[in-house]
Amino acid sequence: MNRIINYLFDVIRGVLFYFSQTKLRTALTLLGITVGVSSIIAIMTVLATFEKTTDQIVSDVRTNVFYITRENPIEVSFGNNNKWARNKPKITWTEYEQLKRSLKLIKNMSAVVSEEPSDRTFSVGKKEFKSRIQSFWAADGDILSLYKYDIVEGRNIQDVDINNRSRVAIVGSDIKKELFPFKNPVGETIKIDNIPFEIIALTEEKGELAGQSMDSMVGIPISTYLKYFGGNWRRADLQLVLESESVEGIDDATDEAIGVFRAIRKIPPGDPNNFYIATNDQLMDTFGEFTGYLKTFVGLITGISLLVAGIGIANIMLVSLNERIKEIGIRKALGARRSDIFMQFLIEAILISLLGGVIGIFLGLSFGNVVALFLEQSPVIPFDWVFYSLQICASMGIIFGLYPAIKASKLNPIDSMRFE
Amino acid sequence: MTKSKKEIIGIKSVSKIYNLGDTVVKALDNVSLSINENDYISIMGPSGSGKSTLMNIIGCLDVPTKGTYKFNNEKISEMNDNQLANIRNEKIGFVFQTFNLLPKLNSIQNVEVPLVYSSFARAERSLKAKEALKIVGLEDRMSHKPNELSGGQRQRVAIARALVNKPSIILADEPTGNLDSKSGSEILNFFDSLHKAGNTLIIVTHEDSVAKRAKRRIEIFDGKITLDE
Repeated sequence: MNRIINYLFDVIRGVLFYFSQTKLRTALTLLGITVGVSSIIAIMTVLATFEKTTDQIVSDVRTNVFYITRENPIEVSFGNNNKWARNKPKITWTEYEQLKRSLKLIKNMSAVVSEEPSDRTFSVGKKEFKSRIQSFWAADGDILSLYKYDIVEGRNIQDVDINNRSRVAIVGSDIKKELFPFKNPVGETIKIDNIPFEIIALTEEKGELAGQSMDSMVGIPISTYLKYFGGNWRRADLQLVLESESVEGIDDATDEAIGVFRAIRKIPPGDPNNFYIATNDQLMDTFGEFTGYLKTFVGLITGISLLVAGIGIANIMLVSLNERIKEIGIRKALGARRSDIFMQFLIEAILISLLGGVIGIFLGLSFGNVVALFLEQSPVIPFDWVFYSLQICASMGIIFGLYPAIKASKLNPIDSMRFE
Repeated sequence: MTKSKKEIIGIKSVSKIYNLGDTVVKALDNVSLSINENDYISIMGPSGSGKSTLMNIIGCLDVPTKGTYKFNNEKISEMNDNQLANIRNEKIGFVFQTFNLLPKLNSIQNVEVPLVYSSFARAERSLKAKEALKIVGLEDRMSHKPNELSGGQRQRVAIARALVNKPSIILADEPTGNLDSKSGSEILNFFDSLHKAGNTLIIVTHEDSVAKRAKRRIEIFDGKITLDE
């Protein structure tokens, strides 16, 4: 065993020495593999970051919560928006009220309209909130508990506010920090597009998620929103957030909601739903599906680029073989066995592709984690893909180094030594 | 030649036949030859006479078509590639006309090459290589590459490489062919001293002055030995 390790070290040392003698060529050969591997690793790192982010977003909302929306929000946000989806009818206030009356398995239900982010101006006196408010929402019912916001100070929106279309607002801690640095905001007035609202509550600081502050938030009653900002509010596009009695009951509750909503919209049996209903699990699945496609696509592209890089290796190995025919002849005359020459060439090919792979992994990880940094995520290393890449590189070295290695090992010492 | 000397090489009725399409070339035609320990032999002949083929067969670089070749009583004519490689590595020291040093390696590394293939540990290899370079008087040129050495020095590195594994025979093919007469005679003087030290030498040449140094002279013509004295 010791002998074999010693032997391998000798061969590797020899190959590294040869690389040091042909730096430029080695670098160019490495380049193909480096590019292929770094792109695979970069994309997988970015996807791992995305997955982590969505995990956080989804796990932040209770698992007995589900949504009814016009279309799949994830598909829409990734641009996979087909014509049919756009032709789906908006969810109206009437439909919401009908649903609310009919559903039996629902503990809590809210209709929400949100602007994420909002382009409106939020000001106190002459002081204006500088950046855009990330989430300006208007809801009916206890949306704060559905989204897990706690009130530090003040009171929640109540039925009386909804009924009276009161100009009251709940604000996140970013608003206090910027507009009321030394004051309790509750009871003060904030102007939204110059319309004054009384602040009735301040929520607890939640920090950042995926690079966005969760506290850059203002919420008002939905009826008030529709009155002041909604235009013809009967045509507003509502998102419904529903909470089942328990996590186990969510399947029955969604079934009930689908059935009732189909009945409200009078959809004939057999026709597809013209609305979208999603649980958190489904949202994750949709996202998983999307990243799955992306991974396949990236895999295909890098597969092709690695194939090209591999052919490059085979080509370089054949060139270096031709250059070294005399050397091989001399080595054979001095006692090199076929297996010695074979190993020398094979290990050269494996080392060159592994070296390219390792450099590629480092580049890919750095690039991918720069993206993670922008999303304000902790660094991610997709270990599985690092492992696969090394495996792919090693097998590429073997596959594309095999033919040159066999060819080199079969050279006849007499003729090779005479070769100039 | 005394009978008490051990036979190293025993060649019996060896032929080497090449089929070149229609024509059949007998490079060696029924050659028999015996070489003993501490022999100092020159093999002479014009080009195309078969002396290179004979040298290749003696050096285990090639195998005969017919006949038997015994090296230290082992049947070379029946060995496979790997066994031949081992014999070349351990028993034969080659010295070539064009030196055949590896251009990217320095003197020590060049001398170490045969040791790499006989799996010596690194420290031991470099020790042996340094010893061999001292024998040829190149201890001050150990880390020079071939292109930094003169022709005579290169050939001495090659001789050090041939000696490093303490071979049974040293096989030199036109060792002075690429050298000026001064370094040529230096090399030949060195061969003389190797012979005195008990080595077995075979020198293939077409120069009479080189052949005269040897104690035994073999001439070959048209694939047959025409003189052995």
